[in-house]
Amino acid sequence: MTRHLLKLVWNRKRSNALMILEICVSFLVVFVVVTMGLFLLDNYRIPLGFEWKHVWNVRIGMGRNEASAGDAAAQQATLTRLFQEVRSLEPVEAAAGSFVVPFEQGGWEGTYKVQGRNVEMGVDRATVDFDKVLGLRLVSGRWFEEPDAAQSWEPVVIDQDLARTVYGTADPVGKALFDPNPGERPFRVVGVVRDFRKGGELLPNGNFLFRFSSLDHPEGQSFRNLLIRVRPGTPAAFEETLVKRMQGVAPDWSFEVQPLPQVRATAFRFFLTPLIVAGTVAFFLLLMVGLGLIGVLWQNLLQRTREIGLRRAAGASRASVHRQVLLEQIVLTSLGVLLGTLLVIQVPILHLIGVLSDKVFTAGLLVAMAAMYLLSVLCALYPSSLAARVQPAEALRYE
Amino acid sequence: MIHLQQVSKLYRTDRVETTALDNINLEIGKGEFVSVMGPSGCGKSTLLNLMGLLDEPSSGRVALDGKAIDRYGDRALSRVRNERIGFIFQQFHLVPDLSVADNVEIPLLYRRMSNRERRKAALAALDRVGLGSRTHHFPTQLSGGQQQRVAIARAIVGRPNILLADEPTGNLDSQMGDEIMGILEDLNQKEGTTIVMVTHDPRMADKTHRVVRLFDGRQVQ
Ligand SMILES: Nc1ncnc2c1ncn2[C@@H]1O[C@H](COP(=O)(O)OP(=O)(O)OP(=O)(O)O)[C@@H](O)[C@H]1O
Ligand SMILES: [Mg+2]
Repeated sequence: MTRHLLKLVWNRKRSNALMILEICVSFLVVFVVVTMGLFLLDNYRIPLGFEWKHVWNVRIGMGRNEASAGDAAAQQATLTRLFQEVRSLEPVEAAAGSFVVPFEQGGWEGTYKVQGRNVEMGVDRATVDFDKVLGLRLVSGRWFEEPDAAQSWEPVVIDQDLARTVYGTADPVGKALFDPNPGERPFRVVGVVRDFRKGGELLPNGNFLFRFSSLDHPEGQSFRNLLIRVRPGTPAAFEETLVKRMQGVAPDWSFEVQPLPQVRATAFRFFLTPLIVAGTVAFFLLLMVGLGLIGVLWQNLLQRTREIGLRRAAGASRASVHRQVLLEQIVLTSLGVLLGTLLVIQVPILHLIGVLSDKVFTAGLLVAMAAMYLLSVLCALYPSSLAARVQPAEALRYE
Repeated sequence: MIHLQQVSKLYRTDRVETTALDNINLEIGKGEFVSVMGPSGCGKSTLLNLMGLLDEPSSGRVALDGKAIDRYGDRALSRVRNERIGFIFQQFHLVPDLSVADNVEIPLLYRRMSNRERRKAALAALDRVGLGSRTHHFPTQLSGGQQQRVAIARAIVGRPNILLADEPTGNLDSQMGDEIMGILEDLNQKEGTTIVMVTHDPRMADKTHRVVRLFDGRQVQ
């Protein structure tokens, strides 16, 4: 029977082409939306590598004279005093300076040459205690300490991902990390932290490198964010006290407090909104395609009443007519899905999107296939039951 | 073999009520070759549909081998149609999207057998009607006579013991008609197939064992 149906579908290819195309396009849309969703979901399942619940960020604006070199020492002194002030506040458990803010878009992406090949990584400059503020777990070695600034090498902390990429299974602590540029201190790994996902739960895991920002050293000014871990239960009103106290130390500077939960919520909105929009569009598209399919199937069956009557006369039971219509639809769907799959697998073949894992890609493909078969069968159920009810004697009267 | 007792068939459309068949009593014996004659609209096709289990009478009883057909469910009825009855329609009713061989295979699709056996049986049936060389053609590429022969091949491919033919020669010239008639007589004599044939042509009717005449839904002889 399947062979017979394949022939029938093939011989009717001209009238079936449109339906196959429609199924193919819907398949592609579903694939894109589902893969997007699965990509985010898959990322969400991986540990984040830091804790954000009781962390606030204070963005520091240093006013007009920021760039002037002569004030560098004065700025350094002010920063040091700010730190002392903030740390002295009762609700503050720990405070650290950082160049990037977790969950925020953008930041610092670097490509470094490691043993002759380019390795991409996210980069941050952070002060001592940054590990305490964000609850980073050290897998090996230690976090930065102030005396590190005086060494002949530059200390770095890397995450497990980067450690694996560069050192494989060996312990990186104490080893040099890639060849220094002329005139710069060579990097030396002092610690390894669990995978740090600066972009948040929805972005894929990647290599990460922390460089040291010393409060006692001119390089220390490269951070503009003060991250603070507050005691659980600290009221929002502390925000005001905090700003007031900081303003007291540096009256010309500006301070803007952003709790990390808020930054995180913004990041979620940023990634989920397009998904929700795409999902809604896809849903309505499928609805339209579904209604269209029912119409086309119905139309086809009206045109083929005689054929159905003939099959009934030749011994097809109601059930087998029903089955035939469904099977035909499944064959058509398979062709549309096949066409769509051929298009979609160009993505990994041509390396069009690097961040998609094989797992997410395959799952997206399977879910999209299942969705198309489900849609097709659902749409064919009513027309096929109509077909099964065709009265042979009636159907064969039509000229 | 086929037994009709007081069979009537009414068609109700909107306000008009047509009595297509009125109190028909008819017995078709095993191996008989019967022709049905009568003017257009007298109920010949309706009679054939009832004997072929394609339709149910409004009243009366249709029995096959002594068993009333209203005792059968859809599945059993389909099975009887499939295994025992071959139908040749007035308008051929070939499926335009299928090749000649695929058309002929249709009744065998509803039986358990391999694709190869099906193809073999279809080719044998086509050979029998002299169309062995046209198996890959599509119905529209054939003449009327050839199409009728494809329809006959399809009706006999499952080796039914009852063949119901609705004007199988009606659309053909007399030479082609004789050829078709030859095939039917051959089936009747060599294989003992019971045949009921509707015809307008007295020459054809003369070649059969018995003529049933209908007029306005009633049996007149
Ligand atoms: N499905 C139907 N609905 C309404 N009337 C019908 C239907 N089928 C048949 N009839 C009517 O029943 C009568 C008998 O029709 P039938 O097709 O059996 O005639 P026929 O003898 O085969 O005619 P012809 O020689 O033209 O084929 C006709 O008056 C026809 O209009
Ligand atoms: Mg007729």
